[in-house]
Amino acid sequence: MFSSKIFLESFEPLMWAARYTLLVSGLGIAVGLVIGALICMASMSKSGFLRGFAAVWVSYLRGVPMLVQLLVVYYLLPVIGIDVPAIVAAVGTTAIVASAYISEIWRGAINALPKGQAEAAVAIGMAPGDVWRRVVLPQAVSLSLPALINELILLVKASSLVSVVGIMEITRASQAQAGSTFRPLEVYLAAACVYLAINLCLAALGRYLEHRMAV
Amino acid sequence: MELSIFAHYWPMLLKGFGMTVLCWILGTGFGMALGLIIALIQRYSIAPVRWLVQVYVEIIRGTPFLVQLFLLYYGGPMVGIRLDPLPAGIVGLTIYGSPYFAEIFRSAFRAVPTGQIEAARAIGMSEPTIVQRILLPVGLVSALPALVNFSIILTKETVILSIITVPELLYQTQRMSTETFRYLEANLVLALFFWVFVEIISRIGRRFERRITHYLIERP
Amino acid sequence: MVQASSVEVRNVDKFYGPFQALKNVSLSIPAGKVTCLIGPSGSGKSTLLRCMNFLEEYDRGEIRIDGKLIGYDAPGRKMSARNLRQMRRSIGMVFQQFNLWPHMTAQENVAEGLVRVRGMSKPEAMARAATELGKVGLADKLGNYPSRLSGGQQQRVAIARAVAMEPKLMLFDEPTSALDPELVGEVLNVMKALAAAGMTMVVVTHEMGFAAHVADQVAFLEKGELVAVDSPAGIFHAPKDERIWNFLRTYNERNSF
Ligand SMILES: Nc1ncnc2c1ncn2[C@@H]1O[C@H](COP(=O)(O)OP(=O)(O)OP(=O)(O)O)[C@@H](O)[C@H]1O
Ligand SMILES: [Mg+2]
Repeated sequence: MFSSKIFLESFEPLMWAARYTLLVSGLGIAVGLVIGALICMASMSKSGFLRGFAAVWVSYLRGVPMLVQLLVVYYLLPVIGIDVPAIVAAVGTTAIVASAYISEIWRGAINALPKGQAEAAVAIGMAPGDVWRRVVLPQAVSLSLPALINELILLVKASSLVSVVGIMEITRASQAQAGSTFRPLEVYLAAACVYLAINLCLAALGRYLEHRMAV
Repeated sequence: MELSIFAHYWPMLLKGFGMTVLCWILGTGFGMALGLIIALIQRYSIAPVRWLVQVYVEIIRGTPFLVQLFLLYYGGPMVGIRLDPLPAGIVGLTIYGSPYFAEIFRSAFRAVPTGQIEAARAIGMSEPTIVQRILLPVGLVSALPALVNFSIILTKETVILSIITVPELLYQTQRMSTETFRYLEANLVLALFFWVFVEIISRIGRRFERRITHYLIERP
Repeated sequence: MVQASSVEVRNVDKFYGPFQALKNVSLSIPAGKVTCLIGPSGSGKSTLLRCMNFLEEYDRGEIRIDGKLIGYDAPGRKMSARNLRQMRRSIGMVFQQFNLWPHMTAQENVAEGLVRVRGMSKPEAMARAATELGKVGLADKLGNYPSRLSGGQQQRVAIARAVAMEPKLMLFDEPTSALDPELVGEVLNVMKALAAAGMTMVVVTHEMGFAAHVADQVAFLEKGELVAVDSPAGIFHAPKDERIWNFLRTYNERNSF
């Protein structure tokens, strides 16, 4: 029979473990935003080499399953003499994978801006750097916010994979809990609820931002 | 780098690849079918049924595939659903993909001009015939790029099945690396392999799209 | 000569939420005659036309085709989908946006209804479709997909698609409004031929020339009200209502330069 006691008791350790889920996905998107911006700039640059590099970066990261990438990074680091805790490998992989999608989101947002706006700024004599800083970027950022929230939701879900390298986030914690209680049904249901709660909050935030932008 | 391990292990890897393709094709096929049913329910059914379906959609989209798999594979037996890893994996992929496919179909159906449906009603066509002859063929074509795109995303999700011991490509690769201690080489080669594989099926997908949409090309 | 229906519209009201799109409209459409519906944009012409084959549900009053109520078995009680389909089989409709099915060739577009609704065999339907397309001057375009036809050609296919079902009544909703001016004539000619063959036709149109020369009667709507029904001469040369006069004046101003 379904034990609501076990189900309810599972929440405490899982919500505790949610710290790591949020850490991996939150740091992942933060670092991913920076790398994504660089990749986005590279993909729009005049240099053929940079454009090629960005294309390969995006194509590799989007073509290879995240779990496989995680294992590659996890096993690669010691070989090239970098000794870091697993959490760093986890955040790093998440950020790198995210950067590929984020660079595409930003490229889309920049391309969606009416061409005339940048031209109008140039026409009144703004320097190219200022055109970017003051006209293009602020708009592109707000235009891309809903897509970025969506990306964050994807990362929260994807962060369940870092359980494989031993990070005690929600999924790993629920595995441990299921093992010790022998009640996988209740425990994994609780885990699903925690994820769902996080993602519904993020989705609501996304809708709010979208709504505010529309006005 | 030690790549000679592949000379010894390739039959096992090939079997793993076959399993990956099998899971992918069945998961995609069933997932699309379930997604289509969901989209049709959302379009034609009464409100309470639509709400129930919407709840299902939100739950599946809000939770990680891995947790869904654990629920099905480890939690399932407690409610009498006892599946081997392979069927569990395929059922899992089907369920996981269905709401995304449903969303693709739903917006494709919305994109079918109402006039084309009304033209069919006006000559007295029945609703099931309209679905079959107009809504599906016209909708499917506009859904095609998104369908291909999401099917490709699903290829990547198949590796997660290794965690519930479906003997697909990643599972076999892990086995090889634990037997040979060549973790890095094995995973690197696997990554490269996926990269190429996904690139190839994307190209095939695009060619397929062009063939199916030939009649939409405007006259010169 | 074709078999032709008459239509009787009596005290029809139609609401979109709180907005009343048709206000107590009554109109007699005699068999074998051409009736044009004219009036300003938003006056309810399309709504009235679409009520006649129940693509739009009217809320009060009745519309009878050959004496048979469409859409309802009795006031307030909807007709079964099956009976409605049965009635629609003999009402053809032509839309402003053609609404051809993009995944079928011209011939398949015409044959589709014959197969799926009339239960004809595929070869028989295709042969019949070829004949109908020949009648609208498209014998050489049978295999073309809609995207490879001009607007005028698409609209003629749409007419052939409706006519192939052997309707006794044809409804046209601004059939030439989406066409380039030089393509309007070819479509109007096909419609004239239909009228000459004795089809009952209800035509929503902004082509006053067509209304004046082909119509047997012209109905003028404004703000959901049927203001007048008269002969073309009566409407265009001796309008009895100031609203008609205003409408025609604006129309003439816009179309003379
Ligand atoms: N689906 C709908 N929902 C709400 N209002 C509608 C709907 N369809 C039409 N209306 C309203 O009903 C009125 C009549 O519309 P209708 O399309 O019949 O006008 P019309 O005379 O055909 O105009 P036009 O010459 O522009 O085609 C309009 O004010 C329109 O805004
Ligand atoms: Mg209209």
